[in-house]
Amino acid sequence: MPTLDAYAPPGNLDDLDDFGRKAWNTFISNTVDEAIQGPDPQQVLNDSPRLQFYNLTRTNTDTDVRHAPIKWTAFPRVIKITSISDLQRWQRADASRDVQDEYCEWSVIRDGAGKITQVTFTSEGPEYWEILAQTNPGKVLELYQKFISPDARKEDLFSPSGRYEPRNKWNNSTSHGAMHLIQPNNTLGAEIELAAAATIRRVINGQELTTEQELIACSKYGAPERNSDPHIGAGVNALARQKADISLADPVGLYFDDLSTDGWETPDGSDPKSYWTYLRGDSEHRVRAVYEVPPDKGFGVGDITIGGRTIEFGAQIADFITIRLTGIACRFGDSTVPPQIACKEFSAVDMREESFNAAAFSSSGRFLDPRPTLSYRSSRVS
Amino acid sequence: MPDHAHLRRATAWMRRSADVDATRSSAALDDTSGHALLGLEGADDDFGPGSTALEPGRLYRRVSGTDDHARPVSDEELAGLGDPMAVEFFRVGTFPTTVQELLSNLPATAAASRKVYLVSEAGQIPPGAIGERDMRFAITAAVGGSQVDLLISAQAGGDPKQGFLQVAAWDPGEKVFNFYARFESSWVWAGNSWHALEPDSRGKGCFDSHVNGSVVMKELRIPWINWQSERATIRLAEDDPLRHDPLFQQVTGAQRLELTVRSLITRWTAARLTAITANGVVNHPDRLLRHLFTSTTINLASTDRQSSNITADSPDLTLPTGFWLNQDVLFDDLRLSTQAAPPRAPATRYLAGLSRFGFHLEEKHSGFSQPGDTFFAFVVPEAAHEDNEVVRQAVRTGLISAKFAACVLMVDFPNPVCSPARSHLMQYVPTMPTKTVKLCDKVAKAILDAVRAKDLPADSPEGRFAACWQEPDDAWRTVFGQRVDAYLRAVTQQIQTASGFDDYVRLAEFRRRQFRLMKLNEFELTLPVTNISSSAPPLAMREDATVAELS
Repeated sequence: MPTLDAYAPPGNLDDLDDFGRKAWNTFISNTVDEAIQGPDPQQVLNDSPRLQFYNLTRTNTDTDVRHAPIKWTAFPRVIKITSISDLQRWQRADASRDVQDEYCEWSVIRDGAGKITQVTFTSEGPEYWEILAQTNPGKVLELYQKFISPDARKEDLFSPSGRYEPRNKWNNSTSHGAMHLIQPNNTLGAEIELAAAATIRRVINGQELTTEQELIACSKYGAPERNSDPHIGAGVNALARQKADISLADPVGLYFDDLSTDGWETPDGSDPKSYWTYLRGDSEHRVRAVYEVPPDKGFGVGDITIGGRTIEFGAQIADFITIRLTGIACRFGDSTVPPQIACKEFSAVDMREESFNAAAFSSSGRFLDPRPTLSYRSSRVS
Repeated sequence: MPDHAHLRRATAWMRRSADVDATRSSAALDDTSGHALLGLEGADDDFGPGSTALEPGRLYRRVSGTDDHARPVSDEELAGLGDPMAVEFFRVGTFPTTVQELLSNLPATAAASRKVYLVSEAGQIPPGAIGERDMRFAITAAVGGSQVDLLISAQAGGDPKQGFLQVAAWDPGEKVFNFYARFESSWVWAGNSWHALEPDSRGKGCFDSHVNGSVVMKELRIPWINWQSERATIRLAEDDPLRHDPLFQQVTGAQRLELTVRSLITRWTAARLTAITANGVVNHPDRLLRHLFTSTTINLASTDRQSSNITADSPDLTLPTGFWLNQDVLFDDLRLSTQAAPPRAPATRYLAGLSRFGFHLEEKHSGFSQPGDTFFAFVVPEAAHEDNEVVRQAVRTGLISAKFAACVLMVDFPNPVCSPARSHLMQYVPTMPTKTVKLCDKVAKAILDAVRAKDLPADSPEGRFAACWQEPDDAWRTVFGQRVDAYLRAVTQQIQTASGFDDYVRLAEFRRRQFRLMKLNEFELTLPVTNISSSAPPLAMREDATVAELS
């Protein structure tokens, strides 16, 4: 397979104009290049470069290519393991987009009696929307009006200076719509960085690390508490151990893999899966879905049962959703990149007070290291 | 490479008696061999006195405990089997001898729905460190509709004609699972879900693991111990021929199988409860209520932290909630009011416990031994989803009241499995046909009468039930919730101390000991071994979160 001419938009969406598509390709390509380069080795030890990761627009893919889908559950594991019961975890996950950190966020619509009528899920990274907003703001408004509410106005989505506000009133809650991902860790930039970092093989004390937890503990490429990060890392690293070159398949993105409806029952015996509809993305790359029963059926989502229990929370559906990314690997057995023999470490730094300034704190209040390469890796397009 | 062909212990139920006896004498645990999903085997069986070699290409019947020996299934009997295995294969004279042959003969729609899972108790032990790793595929498919109705368990790797091949298949007409196993080129029907409940066959043959007639996945909850999942990938040598097996290349994470197994347990439970209450009378109330009062089977739970990756600097461990109480029923089904969070233990306490109690893995028959805990830390038995589902559906359908179920559980809620106090109350459950509308009241009245007649103390199981039963209908959820919250707060304090944590380790080991006595205990590597004596006094958790010896 020759080199790609350009990275395609997530899901092969067609919202971008030519300029936007070029901007998107530049963003992904640059992000991949930065991920290959890795952090400054003077500041971060044993984490760069990542020479088994490659850019599809700069390096060809050989004929021995294998696609490796990596799938995980959409329900946030952090919430799962810190809740005492299913009821508690569903309530917590439905309460805030900020806890929906498995690259899948959702918003719930209820009727006057509080019964669920619709749950919308998205896996669209924020970067795409920032580029779309910068290159075609009218399209952004059009999409919000189509998918969230006809009441959406330009001033709801953009600041007075014209800057797009990802956490706008139509995309900042679990009850007023979910247009794209906003949870701070749910970015394509994070996905690419994680995949690249995970290509580093680790041989510690003569023993090659292979398990999900030992790899993420050593390579520190994500949050060990999530379903996604350790699993993505282990999947990618398994390819790296076969001495292959690795990349993320084009179009780079996070996609709905499936909704299982095992144990679901509808009041009229109809197929519960028939109410799951993909709204955006091509047939192989779905990025937006809705679970909703047509009005003429005479019942709603809240009347459907899962294992005999009615659907009271959008999170109950998230338990049954799998999210996917696809890695590709080729040139198996050819890589000569040696493994790292130590774990990722941060070099000592003088943490003087004057090193900090307002910019060292993200909008979500997260601490930023004064060293740029150690800072929270913003995926915001500048 | 290990020879996968002949070491499958799960086929023991098909062996002749002499083989079984030899197995029993050579390894204490081999006589309860089995597997996770289908568990068709049980070494207390063979084909029975007078049985002859099975003819190839035939379906036989052998329900353990009911049939003395295997005999051919009659045409009439075959016509009564309506599951996909019978319909797609046996009725048309097809007797697949390998899992590949079975799968290739399924309709195209079933192939599209197929999911393949992989499980092995030795799956996280480095390849080469142990000989036979007992890898099994579990395969699900939807043949007759959109929901799974065919479950296959088969040896992974080796000669598929020699490896075991077992099937549980849902009959939509009879609303039961039928259980089958291939024996060379023949197949044996080992019974259906109802046989699991009948005294003659209960606990025998395949029903030693299909205890209540449903499908089985012991490690049902995250992190799906022993299964390949989104939390762990089973380790294979780079040159293991299994890597080239098309089924292996289709393996998906066990998180998906959890959803399927839960739905199948729900399906059978619903069919069962509908059938036994059809005329407004429960003929065997004891068979129903033992799911509430006793532990007919168990699931295994653990932290989802890799034990060998835990260091003194690691974050606290969230021990499995099912170790403390039956959270699924108490919180999700009965909806006790709670503000509690799962208790967390310092990593240092866990590490000290591993050393102090000599945790290690051991497989006597192979001589394998390795220091440390199981791959995922702190494996313990918890209340079985099979039992919980019966309780949940019984409450939802009004067969028993939520308050009644809560009162029974609150008698000894800190001991969610194998509670002697709750089991003690089984004596008040009628064994004769009883009208469904009177079931709860009849049991409650019997217990209350016993308290009065025998002047039983307040801390007796009967006394505790009576106290709960007195709570007003609009207050019991709050009152019980407060008790549970107070208990979990006490646990959270106790677990911070060395003595408190060590007591919980001893309690966990005692509960594991109880699991080892079950036929469900199929593989030595399922649980860790400790230096705690197997004759140590039985232990129980108290409501103040201290551990005491059972009197």
